[in-house]
Amino acid sequence: MIITKRHLDRRTILRGTGAALALPLLDAMVPAFGPASAATPVRRFGAMYVAMGMSMPTWLQPKDGELAMNSILAPLEKFRDRMVVATGLDSEPAVSVGDNGNHPRAQAAWLTGAHAKKTDGPDIRLGVSLDQIFARQFEKETQLGSLELAMEATDLVGNCAYGFSCAYNNTIAWRSATTPLPMENNPRNVFERLFGAAGTTDPKVRVRQLKLDSSILDSVNQQVSGVRKGLGQRDVAKLAEYLDAVRDVERRIQKAEDQATREMPVIAQPTGIPATFEEHARLMFDLQLLAFQTDLTRVFTFVLARESSTRSYPEVGVPDSHHPLSHHQNNAEKLGRLAKLNAFHVKQLAYFVERLQATKEGDGTLLDGTMLLYGSGMSDSNMHSPRNVPTLLVSGKNFGIKGNRSLLFKDGTPLSNLQLTLAEKFGAPVEKFGDSSGQLSTLAGV
Amino acid sequence: MVVSSATARRGLVGLGLLTCVLWSASDQVMAARAARRPGTAPTQASASAPAAQAVPVKAFVDQYCVTCHNSRMKAANLILQDKNTDDLARDAETWERVLVKLHAGAMPPPNSKRPDVATYQGFITTLEQGLDAAVAKAPNPGRPPIHRLNRLEYTNAIRDIFSLQIDGKLMLPGDDSGFGFDNIADVLSLSPGLMERYLLAANKISRLAVGDPNVVPGVTVYDVSDRTMGQDDRMSEQLPFGSRGGAAIKHYFPLDGEYSVKFTLQRSDLAATNMIRGLDVENLIDVRLDRQRLKVVKIGGSGDKPTFGAVANYYAEEFAPDEKAEFRFKATAGTHTLGISLNRDHWAMEGVGPARLSLTSDAFNQGVTSGPGTGRIDMTIRKLEIGGPFDGKIPAASDARKRIFVCRPTGAADEAACASRIMGALARRAYRRPVSPEEVATLVTFYKKGRDGADFDTGIQTAIARMLVDINFLFRLEKDPGGAKPGMPYRLTDLDLASRLSFFLWSSVPDDELLRVAASGTLSQPLVLERQVKRMLADSRSSMMIGNFFDQWLYLRNMASVRPDPKKFPAFDENLRVGFQEETRLFLESQVREDRPVTELITANYTFVNERVARHYGIPNVSGSHFRRVTLPDDRRAGLLGQGAVLTVTSYADRTSVVQRGKWVMDHMLGVPPPPPPANVPPLDATVIEGSLRQRMELHRKNPVCATCHTQIDPLGFALENFDAIGTYRTMDGNTPVNATGKLVDGTTFDNPADFRKALLTRQDAFRRTLTEKLLTYAMGRGVETFDMPSVRQILRETKTSGDRWSSVVLAIVKSKPFQMRRAES
Repeated sequence: MIITKRHLDRRTILRGTGAALALPLLDAMVPAFGPASAATPVRRFGAMYVAMGMSMPTWLQPKDGELAMNSILAPLEKFRDRMVVATGLDSEPAVSVGDNGNHPRAQAAWLTGAHAKKTDGPDIRLGVSLDQIFARQFEKETQLGSLELAMEATDLVGNCAYGFSCAYNNTIAWRSATTPLPMENNPRNVFERLFGAAGTTDPKVRVRQLKLDSSILDSVNQQVSGVRKGLGQRDVAKLAEYLDAVRDVERRIQKAEDQATREMPVIAQPTGIPATFEEHARLMFDLQLLAFQTDLTRVFTFVLARESSTRSYPEVGVPDSHHPLSHHQNNAEKLGRLAKLNAFHVKQLAYFVERLQATKEGDGTLLDGTMLLYGSGMSDSNMHSPRNVPTLLVSGKNFGIKGNRSLLFKDGTPLSNLQLTLAEKFGAPVEKFGDSSGQLSTLAGV
Repeated sequence: MVVSSATARRGLVGLGLLTCVLWSASDQVMAARAARRPGTAPTQASASAPAAQAVPVKAFVDQYCVTCHNSRMKAANLILQDKNTDDLARDAETWERVLVKLHAGAMPPPNSKRPDVATYQGFITTLEQGLDAAVAKAPNPGRPPIHRLNRLEYTNAIRDIFSLQIDGKLMLPGDDSGFGFDNIADVLSLSPGLMERYLLAANKISRLAVGDPNVVPGVTVYDVSDRTMGQDDRMSEQLPFGSRGGAAIKHYFPLDGEYSVKFTLQRSDLAATNMIRGLDVENLIDVRLDRQRLKVVKIGGSGDKPTFGAVANYYAEEFAPDEKAEFRFKATAGTHTLGISLNRDHWAMEGVGPARLSLTSDAFNQGVTSGPGTGRIDMTIRKLEIGGPFDGKIPAASDARKRIFVCRPTGAADEAACASRIMGALARRAYRRPVSPEEVATLVTFYKKGRDGADFDTGIQTAIARMLVDINFLFRLEKDPGGAKPGMPYRLTDLDLASRLSFFLWSSVPDDELLRVAASGTLSQPLVLERQVKRMLADSRSSMMIGNFFDQWLYLRNMASVRPDPKKFPAFDENLRVGFQEETRLFLESQVREDRPVTELITANYTFVNERVARHYGIPNVSGSHFRRVTLPDDRRAGLLGQGAVLTVTSYADRTSVVQRGKWVMDHMLGVPPPPPPANVPPLDATVIEGSLRQRMELHRKNPVCATCHTQIDPLGFALENFDAIGTYRTMDGNTPVNATGKLVDGTTFDNPADFRKALLTRQDAFRRTLTEKLLTYAMGRGVETFDMPSVRQILRETKTSGDRWSSVVLAIVKSKPFQMRRAES
């Protein structure tokens, strides 16, 4: 089924700049355009970070066994059969070694199991993040290895907090220990990453643009051999870096060309960042859904709220700034508002899960092959504690992980054990991940 | 764990101790040098120091150095015993290190046997002459690798090639820094992610330049102000008289057409209400395009006054008054200034009306503006969004189109010829040299691809996109000439020299004149070169060098992101932030453009202020937002060290930091950065030690672990304690009188900031050397190496003989070997 251009125009009318710039929501009946007929079902991964812990009295599961719903999880009620909540996992690498910076350390350690080296210069060092282990696995098959999304600031250079580089605070995706991947918060730019500069997903326009891009890069590629004359070793190394980059982009464009001819809803480039948090988050998830559907990528990370965020959520009765509120001093009223804020974030996740569920792929839905990790690098933000961090897994049925479960782990179990287990589940096993000490055997239990 | 970290710490402290002792100056030598140097000092450089006599290196070292610097003691990890004293070049790195210490008068350490002053100077001279001579025999001008344009250079290049102002920050990521600067060839790498951005940018820029009617409407968001900042005064000369707050924003409008503007007002969202600030008073918000009023929007007052029953409305972002804040207007293609401001009818400092509430008071947070203990809350602008174009049309004649379309085809027959002409002219600017027919042909191929199925303009646009990812545009490629002997220095071609010049002075590509001179092969002639340098310095584009170099050298870039604690410093508003930046910018511009002696950075008796900054400094009779030059009434604020920007970026949010300020002076003025602190130093604990900050710091310095370095760092910071964390002059710090007295390690005492500057002047050679090394680093785009030191000394000598002025520093750098030459690949 092709969504017609006319249908879209109705929804993309630009009333000034503010309100109506949401994407035309993809029709729930539209099937995924990805490689639905592939012999092995496609696996997809998403990691979503929410900063500064949760309202722990509300969040904590009372016991091991059946999942106990609470007001934070409530938006996901429909999917409880797909959910596992883990309690007792510690993000130990985030613990202070007298280097201040609780917030950057917590965010940095969450998906890497590594301790952020305190610096605000270019000598940053952390570790490879879980999503990038998967990205390397899949990138040969997709146009983009991974997509990095955020709701807030995206700078990777400079000092963000307590002498820690912004890289630790503004992304969770690390290609290598020294290469943080920038996150994109502007849907307009996300669209460009996915579909290039054509400004639309209309295959006629896009294919023309892609062909031009591809021939531009091809021409650059050929030119470089002629440039080498008179250059030294170090220059040639720099040149090789440039060529590698060109080839890498060329390869992506080739993938994009292959993929551009697939059926796809025709969508115009979003104008900018929508006014409200919810519209913005949904638009980002819509784009991510589109990327999954069209198999542009199989891996994403999304920071819904970054550490030290001062965003307020008046639309759900939380006019307080997030960071100050997270220092709740165990005041019941503040904890209550924090729980509302936590639930609001979960509501955005629920929207995405719902859309995955509603999108057909082969005989099933997109959700079946998708694993989503959702959590924070802190538990009790009042204490900046990185121990017993809130961890939620939504896993499609292809992963063989039984849902509707609360798993309590004994004190001191590394969060990295979860990452280790997930890597195994994805067929990208690693020997060790961060401070991991072994697989979480109970997670796999069906 | 505990044991090992303690060991590590001891190790580090040991190192730090030695490094600091090394730096500490000896009283007699420094005093003697100071005495010999009234005002503009004679050179410390060897050649012109007539008193200096050659001193045998070996004898000197054996007598004064090896007692500690031997293979057993290894003081500071430096062994001089086994160094070659005949062929100094062999251990040049070591001897240069020794020279730094000697110039600072730091060795031999206090209480050790010392030579008399003549012998001391003679030894310096001998070392320098020996090192210089060795390098003269085997010169090494260095070999910077191919050099990617950084974001700023890219943005400026686009401006100069196409007459097109883009916002580089929206298109490209920021660049890493090395040696304190973000234009260092070695550090500027190219990842696939960046390549992707370059390709996207090339597509977008080519469309903007040519004018693509199908450009997808976009929104650009400009943050006007942080929420903790008030907006009390007129922000810009572009904004109307009698206005306050807002901003004047330069924005590029790609097409003739309709655009939208939307502004968002600041909310008191620190606490429970999220109400628009100052909504109880009617405000007139004035929006202008190039000073022509587009609209005045009335917001606030009784019509908009929220009723507390409708709480939900407060919370909704689309709360009614903001709806008024969006409208459409027409604009022609090109760069225009969009101005937004509020009317200023509160005159708080004249005592009319209620005083402004502290931005962090409870009353403010709750939005309470009436009743006892409350006051006024002013409406402020948070951000501005410009959207569009809607129904845009290609402009008949934008600047960019005029620049690009040097011809129009009259028919199908001459299209290709015209495309060649257009692309040839553009590529010459973009590649910064005459281009070959093959290179033009490559671009014309892309013209043809774009032209196919579309029009002539689309063809040109496609060719431009190709040009903008060309390696000859993105990189500065300096190639060894054919037949260059491996490892031998050679003179750069005039065209390469032209690029070095333009990226140094303009952070951009050469202009047509510079290219023409370079292409004619005369640029390297000294007189021609000098004329070009002077011309380029006089050109407004050299503001790039001034702004970019000083911003990074002196950390002034941080001024854009400092956030003084609004509880402690309610006076710090957006006007003051921008005011400080503007003051220092204008001051540095005037120093360089008026070609003042470089030491005036420390001593200048004037600055630039507007009413806001003048009020902050206590300078009377300055009214209005226009910045003007004022002579300072006394010398406590003389030079950079008295300026708000420097004093603020070297402070914490809530208090001054003598350590940061002291370190800043050591790093940036004296060129002797202190070693980093050992790991896990306990912070100053306010609860343990009573008393003023100074007393606490002094107690802290009694701890021998800290003392070695802090006895040298702290006095430099204490000297500036008369200025609080936002640069307000003070004589009391809380309840304690400020004590800005101190003593440098060489025994020079000072009682106040003015005295301190005099003390600094006794080390003006160290300052000159620091400045020279930093500017040379910036000019070359690489770090200064041991083999560059003879050139640094040469630059210092030349600068001094020609009056110590900015133009002479720049010229001496431009004429230096590392700038004009390159070493062939070995």
